[in-house]
Amino acid sequence: MDQPGLDLRNLTYRMFVELGRAPSADEVAGTSGLSQDAVLAGWRRLHDTHALVLNPATAEIRMANPFSAVPTSYRVHADERWWYANCAWDAFGIGAALHVDGHIETSCPDCREPITVETLNQRPDDDHLLFHCLVPAAQWWNDILFT
Amino acid sequence: MNLFRSEEHIQRWLGGRDPGATITVTKICELAYAWWGDRLSADWQPHTRGQNQAILDTLGLVGEFWRLP
Repeated sequence: MDQPGLDLRNLTYRMFVELGRAPSADEVAGTSGLSQDAVLAGWRRLHDTHALVLNPATAEIRMANPFSAVPTSYRVHADERWWYANCAWDAFGIGAALHVDGHIETSCPDCREPITVETLNQRPDDDHLLFHCLVPAAQWWNDILFT
Repeated sequence: MNLFRSEEHIQRWLGGRDPGATITVTKICELAYAWWGDRLSADWQPHTRGQNQAILDTLGLVGEFWRLP
């Protein structure tokens, strides 16, 4: 990844955290001094290298992993804000990225009963829960939205 | 990539599909901190495949299922 790509990627992530949501291309353009087309082209290159994930229909940000730009079944309270995570792995990743403990709310995909997990000093408070990953690592990026 | 109450719930959710890999919530938390901990660093650089595979290997996530492409 070249320096302009790193700069755009880092600015996009920083704005995501500052705003508590995905920034628009227009917002990133306004902060970076790039044109909106340049931001969109840069995001496309970042998408192609798996540095973020764009919505295939709109070219807006869909994932800045571990953060989700859209509501999901994984809600995380961390650093005095609520976030959406892309999956259970990313739900723990939000606290990891922000360097804080977090509170995760979701539900069991089988029985739909609520599940809540607190992390304290990087450890979950309930060690009885299980994590299941359906897709092998070699195929994670074949369809990252499904993974 | 989901959290479940128990193995019984995983099997019922799979409904006959081939299972993937099941690990403890403690292990996925450890993996998350190792994988995502630098994500907001000002000097962030993309992880190489080797770096990511080493994270998985170090946590004991080995075998064909956890082999990155």
